[in-house]
Amino acid sequence: MTTDDPRGSCPYKPLPTGDGQGLSRRNLLKGVGVTGLALGTAPSVEARIRDPHPHPNGHPPEADNAQPFWGRHQPGILTPPQSAAVLAAFDVLATSREDLDRLFRLLTQRVAFLMSGGTPPAAADTFPPADSGILGPRIHPFNLTVTLAVGASLFDDRFGLAAEKPRHLITMSDFPNDALDAERCHGDILVQICADRADAAIHALRDLVKHTPDLLALRWMQDGFLPPRPAASSGKRETPRNLLGFKDGTANLDASHAKVMDDLVWIRGQGGEPAWMAGGTYQVVRIIRQFVESWDRTPLQEQEEIIGRQKETGAPLGLRHETDIPNYASDPKGGKIALDAHIRLANPRTAETARSRIYRRPYNYMRGTTAAGQLDMGLLLVCFQSNLTEGFIAIQNRLNGEPLEEYIKPVGGGYFFALPGVQNAGDYYGRALLEAAGPVPSTRVSANPKA
Amino acid sequence: MPSIVSQPRFAGLALAALLTGGGYAVAAKVAPADLVAPISDYKIYVLGEVDILISETQKLVDAVKAGDLAAAQAAYARPRVHYERIEPIAELFSDLDKKIDVRADDFEKKEADAHFTGFHRIEYGLFAKKSTEGLTPFADALIADVHELKSRIEALTVPPVKVVGGAAALIEEVAKTKITGEEDRYSRTDLWDFSANVDGAKKIHELLKPLTVAADPKLSARIDSNFAKVTAILTSYATANGGFESYEKLTKKDRTALRGPVTALAEDLSHLRGTLGLK
Repeated sequence: MTTDDPRGSCPYKPLPTGDGQGLSRRNLLKGVGVTGLALGTAPSVEARIRDPHPHPNGHPPEADNAQPFWGRHQPGILTPPQSAAVLAAFDVLATSREDLDRLFRLLTQRVAFLMSGGTPPAAADTFPPADSGILGPRIHPFNLTVTLAVGASLFDDRFGLAAEKPRHLITMSDFPNDALDAERCHGDILVQICADRADAAIHALRDLVKHTPDLLALRWMQDGFLPPRPAASSGKRETPRNLLGFKDGTANLDASHAKVMDDLVWIRGQGGEPAWMAGGTYQVVRIIRQFVESWDRTPLQEQEEIIGRQKETGAPLGLRHETDIPNYASDPKGGKIALDAHIRLANPRTAETARSRIYRRPYNYMRGTTAAGQLDMGLLLVCFQSNLTEGFIAIQNRLNGEPLEEYIKPVGGGYFFALPGVQNAGDYYGRALLEAAGPVPSTRVSANPKA
Repeated sequence: MPSIVSQPRFAGLALAALLTGGGYAVAAKVAPADLVAPISDYKIYVLGEVDILISETQKLVDAVKAGDLAAAQAAYARPRVHYERIEPIAELFSDLDKKIDVRADDFEKKEADAHFTGFHRIEYGLFAKKSTEGLTPFADALIADVHELKSRIEALTVPPVKVVGGAAALIEEVAKTKITGEEDRYSRTDLWDFSANVDGAKKIHELLKPLTVAADPKLSARIDSNFAKVTAILTSYATANGGFESYEKLTKKDRTALRGPVTALAEDLSHLRGTLGLK
């Protein structure tokens, strides 16, 4: 079953959660005596004068933009990239199949709530609050998507899932230019959280962490940013730039082409892959540090030759417009676009490499300084493909040794499989996988999960 | 004179009185013939350094294979000087560079990775494990690799852009890792490597100086001045045997004092190609 809506169809309404009311008597009482600055105050005369769009928490109407949670495919994959992202990898602490099942059901419940919004349950003041309160007393979705993926390690001997492992899913191994930091790699589970605002993404992360103390241990995390998406009405969407100053995503696969997505992104339950995978996709994350000071000291011409595009317009070298397609057949010696230019190696545009393409959904990141006092920033590459071996791995193997490597250093990330979507109220993350794996062969409880 | 120079491509811009926003002169018209001597002199320099690299590496290898820990430790730092001086050329052969100079950081399994070889693998054995045990295969591989490096350099037509850009590349290395003492973390001989990178960059600058001075005398003078500042601080850590103190001895104050001139050198040297009109 395919869908023309790249965000996934929404045949059922989300479960109602919370009391859905921002203006309970309790909230009004709490609002008394708090200064007009605080989120969550009752609407006041001053607030209406100050804010032409009065809203119970002081949030603008866009706060209630929401993405559909239910569907054949998970949200956050073909969803147009929101401006804030958090990628968080976890080790699963569950020691039994029952607990893993409980984890998946719990995550389903939390994510369904977070993506639709509502009011978290109130508790007495003597208890820690159920919610971090970052978004105020009422959760607004801010276009939140949460996407859940599993790593190869989940298919080890702990949960009896080995026979159902996606055929191409392996633990990421290093490429020649990599300097992988074990503390920023891999994981049993990856959660990708995106929203129109960083606080909404952080709120979701903290919610998931708070609800899973005995089931998940945070392994690594990287947040990322992009310019805010233009409002739907403004038409043309400009390709965002990465921190090397180049437009990033010009030649990306087109998410609105359902046939291409079905072929190169989504698993359709054929090609030797276990049937439970249908509707999911392989997800690669790469934390790629960029040596920005050194790049900024590189002549513009060299930058452009390394990438293969003009910096200002994004046009392939020798062509005029960003979306012009280079004709490599007419440039066999690389006089126009060098044979080892980044775009040419990544996509040689030959018949042989036609299946070796991916859907990229990257973010920029910034994380402080290095021991040498240089800036630690780079690309948080996220990409999706129906075949990990033909997709990212083949592409990176072509890129090995490219001149760009002088300026980049992959330091973390991992290979994962983004689960099929949650389709209805009876469904939950990983249900098809757990059902396919059948009952656990013995009643042994596995040894402590690895640190 | 060995015919080793390939013709650089030039913009054909006339020397202009215009300055860019950063105070740099617009590309000068440097004739191809003007670069022939500096490039060929540079290749002679590199081959000279490679020969010493080989003879000093042999001393290290001999001490390792003889099981003489003290002699091996004493012989560790010196060959690296001759590698780090010529790094822009050595790095053109990335497979060899990886075998010879890779650090444990680059591997997820760190020191346990099978691809951790070369100088730093031997350094790890000599200074962290404090033994020559098991190092013979790495020593044999290293001396073979430096001989291979020499053959490849002899056959290489040195690209002018790599020479001119090499000065900047060496200082980028310093700014990125040498200044933090990450390079020789077991032996703490980082200051030898730091100084060697600076030597290598300075050599390129000296060979090009007549051209640089003609094109932009202020740039050349600034580069001279920053090299002098860096060298003065490093010299204060020199030891009697022609080497340097342990990196641990570098004070925070001196490390901070080095960062300004090192970064300024990186900026100025990154303008050499443009200043000399090289594409």
